[in-house]
Amino acid sequence: MFAVLAMIVGIVLGVVLEPTVPVALQPYLPIAVVAALDAVFGGIRARLDGIFDDKQFVISFVSNVLVAALIVYLGDQLGVGGQLSTGVVVVLGVRIFGNVAAIRRHLFRA
Amino acid sequence: MNRRTLINHGDALLRRLGLRAGPGADPGPGAGDPVAPPLQPLGSSPQPELSVDFLTELFRNPLDAGYGDAAASRARSGPPGPAARRTGFTLRTVTLIATGALLVVAYQQTVATQPEAATARHSLAQDVQQRQAETDAQQKQAEQLRQQAASLRDAIVGPNASALDQVEARSGLGAVTGDGVTVTLASGPAPTDPVTGKPQSTDQGHIVDFDLQVISNELWHDGAEAIAINGQRLIATSTIRAAGNAILVDLAPLSEPYTIRAIGPSTMADALRKSPVGGFYSYLATSYGVKFAVRSTSGLRLAGAADPGLRYATPITPSSRTATSPSASPGPAPSGTAPSGSGSTAPSPPASKSPPATPSPGGL
Repeated sequence: MFAVLAMIVGIVLGVVLEPTVPVALQPYLPIAVVAALDAVFGGIRARLDGIFDDKQFVISFVSNVLVAALIVYLGDQLGVGGQLSTGVVVVLGVRIFGNVAAIRRHLFRA
Repeated sequence: MNRRTLINHGDALLRRLGLRAGPGADPGPGAGDPVAPPLQPLGSSPQPELSVDFLTELFRNPLDAGYGDAAASRARSGPPGPAARRTGFTLRTVTLIATGALLVVAYQQTVATQPEAATARHSLAQDVQQRQAETDAQQKQAEQLRQQAASLRDAIVGPNASALDQVEARSGLGAVTGDGVTVTLASGPAPTDPVTGKPQSTDQGHIVDFDLQVISNELWHDGAEAIAINGQRLIATSTIRAAGNAILVDLAPLSEPYTIRAIGPSTMADALRKSPVGGFYSYLATSYGVKFAVRSTSGLRLAGAADPGLRYATPITPSSRTATSPSASPGPAPSGTAPSGSGSTAPSPPASKSPPATPSPGGL
C-alpha cells in the first residue's frame, strides 16, 4: 500500500517538476523504463512470496537500469544498438512475464 | 512447448556442442540420463546450476535469486534491527519514487517528441500555403499594374505605340490573343508491384520537366509565337526545371495536369501530332497511361510574363545615344557628366559591356 503511495508521489513529482532529460540520455529512457518495470514486478512477486528484501530490491533496480543503459550504449558504439536493445527488451520482457504470471497465481490462484 | 521439452532441447544442444564430455563428467543430477531430469518446483532449487543453459533458468525462474538468499539469511540470523529496517524503508521509498518519476518522464518524452514534428510540419505547410496565396495576389496586382502602365505609356508614346506593343507581344512581356493549340499532359497511374501492391519506383508514366521542355520546343519549332504552361508565359529566358517532385516554370511551381497553350499557325496541331515528339507521347499514352491530348483552340488569351529586368545591360535610348558615347554610360542616368563609379576611368576601353541596340526578343 505504501509502495503504491510512494510511486504515486513519484508520478506527481514527475508531472509537477517536468524534468528535462538531456538529449544524450534520451535513447536510454525506454530501456531504463523496461528495466525498472522488471525490478518492480520482481519486487511485487517477492513480496507475495513473502521473501521481499529492501536491499535486494534497491540493488536490482539500480543495477537493472544501469546495465540496460550500458548495454545499449555499448551497442550504439559498436553499431548494433538496435539489436542489443531488442535483446535487452526480450530478456527483461521474459522476466516480467514470468513474474507477472507468478503474481497472477498468487492473486487469483490461476 | 512446455518446460520439460525445453530442458531436453537444452541438454541435447549442449551435448551436440560437446560441452558435456559424457555421463561420467556430468555434475548435474541425472542430466545424462535418457530420462528427463525431474522438474524442480519453483523457487526451491538449492543451488543455481550455471552449466544448464541460462535461458532455461531464465524461463523457469525469473525472480532474482537474491530474494531467496536474503530470505534464507534472515531465517538464519533473525529479523533485522530497527535501524536497518528504517534504512531499507527509506531506500525502497526513494526507489519507488524514482520509478514513478521515470515512468512519467519517459511518457512525457514519448508524447512530446511525436507532436513536435507534426506541429512543425503543419505550421510549415501553412506557411507555404499562405506565401503562395500572397504570391498569387501580388502577381495579379502586378498584372493589373502592368496593363495600367502599358495603357499610360501608349497614351504618351502616341503613334509608335502599336510598334511597341508588337515588340512586347513577341518578347512575351505583353498579353496576346489568337488561335492555336491546347496540349494537355498528365502522368499515368503509378505502376504497382504485383507482389506487394506498393507503387514501383521506376515510374515510366510520370511527367517530368523534360517532357514539358520537349513539347514546348516542338511547339516553337512548329511556329508557335506565344506559349504558356499552366498560365505561365514562356519568354526567352524562361526555365522549365525540376525541383524535387515539382516542376517549376521560372519560379512558379506547377501541378498536374499540365496545360500547354500556344498561339500559332492553324497547322500547328497537326504538325505536333505528326512530329516525332507527338508520336513518342502517343506511344507513352498507349503504353503507360500518360494523358496526352492535342486540340486546336480558337480565341486563346495568354497573359504576359513578368518583366525579368536587365541586370547587366543598359538599353540605349535615342536621347542618350546622341548625348554620350555608348561605352561611357554605365548607369541609367543619361547625363553627360563623368561617371563616378565603375573603377578607374581609363579612356573608354572598347566596351566589353556595351549594351545591345535593342532588347532582342527571340534569341535563347
